[in-house]
Formats: sequence, C-alpha cells, structure tokens
Amino acid sequence: MKSRTVSLINAFLDVRRWRAHAPAGGGHHLPISLYFLETGSCEGCAMELETLCGGAYALEQNGFRRVLQPEDADWLLVTGAVSRRCAERLDHVWRAMPAGKSLIAIGRCAVDGGPFAGGYATLGGLAGLTRVQRSVPGCPPEPAAILAALVAFREGKAA
Amino acid sequence: MIPLSSMGRLVRGGERLSYGHYAVDASQWQALWHMSAVALPMLSFWADELRAYGLFLEGDQPLLVSTAIDDKRYVGPSQRYPVAEWGERVAFDLYGVEAMDVPGDGRSALDGGAWDITWPLAQRPGPGGSHGGALKASKAPFWVDGNGVSGVFGLVPDGQQGGICAEQCEAGLGHRGVIAQLLGRTPDEAMGLVSRMSAGGYVAYPLALARAFMQAEGRSIEPAIRDGWMVLLEIERISVHLHDVMLTACAMDAGVLAAHCTHAREALARVCVDHGATRRLTDMIRKEGYRRGVEIVPLAQAVLREMKPRLSKLALLVDVYAPRLAGLAVLPVDLARGLAIGGPLGRSSGRSLDLRRAENGMRLDALRATGASEGDARARQAVRMTEMFDSLRLLERILSSFGLGDADEAYPAIPQAIHQEGLGAAEAARGDVWVWVRLKEGRIDAVHMRDPAVPVVAALGRIMMDMDVTMMPLALRSLGLSTAGVAQ
Ligand code: SF4
Repeated sequence: MKSRTVSLINAFLDVRRWRAHAPAGGGHHLPISLYFLETGSCEGCAMELETLCGGAYALEQNGFRRVLQPEDADWLLVTGAVSRRCAERLDHVWRAMPAGKSLIAIGRCAVDGGPFAGGYATLGGLAGLTRVQRSVPGCPPEPAAILAALVAFREGKAA
Repeated sequence: MIPLSSMGRLVRGGERLSYGHYAVDASQWQALWHMSAVALPMLSFWADELRAYGLFLEGDQPLLVSTAIDDKRYVGPSQRYPVAEWGERVAFDLYGVEAMDVPGDGRSALDGGAWDITWPLAQRPGPGGSHGGALKASKAPFWVDGNGVSGVFGLVPDGQQGGICAEQCEAGLGHRGVIAQLLGRTPDEAMGLVSRMSAGGYVAYPLALARAFMQAEGRSIEPAIRDGWMVLLEIERISVHLHDVMLTACAMDAGVLAAHCTHAREALARVCVDHGATRRLTDMIRKEGYRRGVEIVPLAQAVLREMKPRLSKLALLVDVYAPRLAGLAVLPVDLARGLAIGGPLGRSSGRSLDLRRAENGMRLDALRATGASEGDARARQAVRMTEMFDSLRLLERILSSFGLGDADEAYPAIPQAIHQEGLGAAEAARGDVWVWVRLKEGRIDAVHMRDPAVPVVAALGRIMMDMDVTMMPLALRSLGLSTAGVAQ
C-alpha cells in the first residue's frame, strides 16, 4: 500500500518535472487560437495534433491554444486530403473564422492529397484549391516538428 | 473440432471457389437470411457489380460465401444482420447494385451528392447526381469537429430524447476512393497504399493484406519473418492503446494520466527510430517480410526496457481515474456478440475473441487478458492497460524463441481453385482487420478490407442511448472510434 502511494506521488511529480516552460521572450504574445479540421485520410496527422495537446508538448507555453469553434479561431490547421464531401465543410469553417485568419496544411495529404490524390472522391490537397503559404511536411509530421513550425509561422517565417 | 453449424452446412453446399469460400445460388443465398437456426456471426458484407459476399466466423475460422448478382440486384443480408447495412449502402454508391428486402432507406453512405460521377466503379458509371437512392442525409447541422473523434465523423445528437440519431450520423465523409486505387495494382504497389488505410493499423492493415497475398500466391513465411511481424504488431498495439487511453484521459480532464501516456508513446516512437523503424511504424510491412534495416530483436528488447517501468505507473493512474468512467457508454454483451465487435471493445463486453490465439507460432501463455463484461468506458480502459502488459509479455516470449518453430502457413491454397484469391487477418489494436483479395495475372482484380470500426458505428445508437450531449466526446474517445478505415 505504502509503495503504491509512493509510486503515485512519483507519477504526479513526473508531470511537474516534465512540464515544459515558455521559451525566453515567448511569453508576451496573446495566445493564438488553433482550430483542427480533418478532411479525409488515414487520420495519422490528426492523431499527431491530438498528441500535441496531450500534455507532453509545450503548446500553451508557446502561446497557442486549441479551440473547438471556428468562430474562436485564428489559425485553421487542416489534416487530410480534401474529400469531396468535406470541401463544403472546409469552406464553411473558413468563412466562420474571424478576419486575420490563417490556413495551415499539416502533412502531405493536406498539401497535395498525398496517396489519396486523384480519382472521383477527393479534390487533392489544399494546394490545388488555394494558395497555401504555410504547411508542415511529413507523413505524418512529428508533433515536435508541428510545434516548431507553428512557432516559426508566428515569428513570420513561412514554410 | 467445432461441429458444423446448419448455416455452415448450407454454405458448404455451394461450389468451393477457394479455401473457406463457397459460391451459392440465389435461393441458397436467400435461405441464409431466413434460417431459424442460431446464426453464425457476420464479420463483413460487401458487393461489386458481379457478386455479393458475406464473411462469417465459425469458431475462430473464417467462412466466406458469395453469390452472383443478377441485373444489379441481390437479396440484402441486413434483414438478418444489421452490420451488413453499411456494406449494402457502400455497394450501391460504388457500383449501383441494390439490396432488396432490406429495412434501411437506401441512404447514400459515401457519395452524398458530392461526386461528379455516380457509381464510379461500375462498368458504366453515370453522371454526378444520378445516384437514385436517398442521397442527402439529415438537414440537421452535423456536429463534425470536436465531437471526440480525431477524424471526420458527422454526429447528429437527438435534441429531444438524448443520445444520437444513429440513422442520420455520417461515417463516410472522409471517403477517398481507396478500392478504386487498388484495383489493377500489383501486390507490391498495393502494400504502400494499404499502409495508409488507418493510423490505428499502420502495421495491422498491410499485415492482413500480406497474409491474404500469401494464400493467393500459395506461399508460406519463414518463422523469423512471422515473429518479426508479431513484434511489430505488438509494438503498434502498445502505441495505439497509449493514444486511446490518452484521448480518454484528456476528455475527462485527467491531465496527469494524459501526460504520462503521451510521454510513453513518444518514448516508444524514439525507440523505434533508434532501431531502424519509423516513429509510428508506417511502411514497415512488406509483402514477404519487413522493411530492411530494422533490427527487430534489439527493437523488441529496447521496447521492453523502456515500457516496463512506464506501464507500471500508468496502471496506477488508470486505476485512480477509473471511477470517473464507470457506467459510461456501455456496449452491452448481446450487441458486442451480435455485431461481432472485436478488440478491447468486444473484450470488455464479454466477447473474448482474439485472432492472435489462432495464429501459427503464437506464444499462447503470454495472452492472459481475458477481458471483462461490464462494457463501460472504465472496463475498456482497464482492458487496454492489461493488453499492453500482455504485449510486453508476448515480446518476451517471442524473444526467447525468436525464429523457431514451423513456417507460417497461409490458409491452404486449393490446387484446382477457380480463382487466385486469399484471405488475411490481423488482430489490430482496435479490433480484427480482415482483407480479402483476388488476383488476376499478378494484379488485384477484387479486394475488400473490413475495418473493426464498422460494427462499432452500427452499435453507436444503443451505446449512446439517452446520453447527454456534453458526455459524447468522452464516450466517443473511450471507444477509440476512427472512421478512417470505415470511409476508406
Ligand atoms: S499525410 Fe500521411 S499520415 Fe498524414 S493523413 Fe496523409 S497519409 Fe496519413
């Protein structure tokens, strides 16, 4: 019983120890609100975004927060090839976001459709539909790479 | 020896096309859905323009029955097997073949009026919009994002009764035409695409396909490859279970548990990379082996070293937060059995089937998780945890006898088989994946992939009955529901 209690305390202390801190000079920004939208894929990239929110990465400490309504979002993070049935939803979400918004393609599918490009079911990726200035490559990209890219985008560096 | 069921006897009365596959005529086909005897569990139903197929389990062995489709119509099995409804709707969207005598309204599963071509896989496709079935689903606003599923899932909560309007939910929004892309490819070409079927099965999907090719080509696999595949599948199981436990933890505000899961999963990814594999085990399975440069034995040893201490702590934390999940999103035993729901969902709802137990070379003593029957989110979390420990134990057993034993046999090929076809399966983290394939002149002539989430979607109405909308994200996350392999 005692060792169980000690192990539990250790488990809670681990999380304190792991807690990532805001980078020097990174704490003054107003948080940027991120909205995730999956549009048809293996969901690998969507799972990496979930991982980014799972407490092991310094998403909030770097000045980002996830929101669940497009009306609250600054940046739209799209994963997956754009299936024809999701195109309307993508348009709807984009229109619902307030001015000053930004579109970011996460992973190869979101850029050019990846392995699901072509055929009757998808429109490919965002690159075929609009000018994509910001994207994170990979199949799937690592959460650390996604976070690094988001920080770079905020600093004004396009990828 | 399992006694033959009367349904099995009826199927075997047909013409044998390959091992475990029988062709029946229209009257035998129809009789299957009207037999009074206890029915075999149906795993999957699908159809193309020429044939309709039903895949059953007899004990732990598959039994496939098919019949010719006449004039684009066949008698639909969903009158007896609700799980078949998805396959019937998909077949109509892709080929324009119609199920008769079925209770459903013929609503579109995949097309939804968005395609500019109708019945795209039919010999004579139509222009967009000539679908003919009930194209549009509900006019109600879909609750697509933030509903607890990482992917695309249109959920329609029932504002009056609570729960969901199951018949209006949309699991096919993310359809990307995988079958169309696979037809005509060589087996090697197909492996790459199938490796991206679903992130919950980066190993399991291509493994099931590789096993199907083994039967179709009449090959066996040497024990070292068989064991390498097992190692990769168990590492994937740990990774996906960690992810699903993390998702549930996030949805119930258990930040400490979520952080531990995420750290453990990322540590696992690093171990994989350090030993020549990819982070999430993408592109690891080849048709006759696995990716070159992977050090399987050191990889398994490193996974054991890294995961053992982490899982012990995780088990404690899962226990601490378990009361919050008690009684949530119950999958009743009768539903799990009736729909043949597998994986941790089935095993926490009294359906103990685990395909690994029937595999050649399996170290059976390592598989100790017997599951539970409560069927709630708490039981699912506990079963995932136990299965991760079992995976470690299995890795240990494999390491102690790596590469020993008999070659891994496919289901036997039949010398005078009419078609070159094969069936393969893999016990993925989220349930059993089945792949059936037919080859013609070395290329894929027909293919079907059964995702374990198909029966879960069919069960959602009852699982979420009366549920308050605020609890739905947690409920869906606890189910580990992904529509990537459903929509294909
Ligand atoms: S880019 Fe790769 S991992 Fe991401 S959704 Fe597409 S296929 Fe899956």
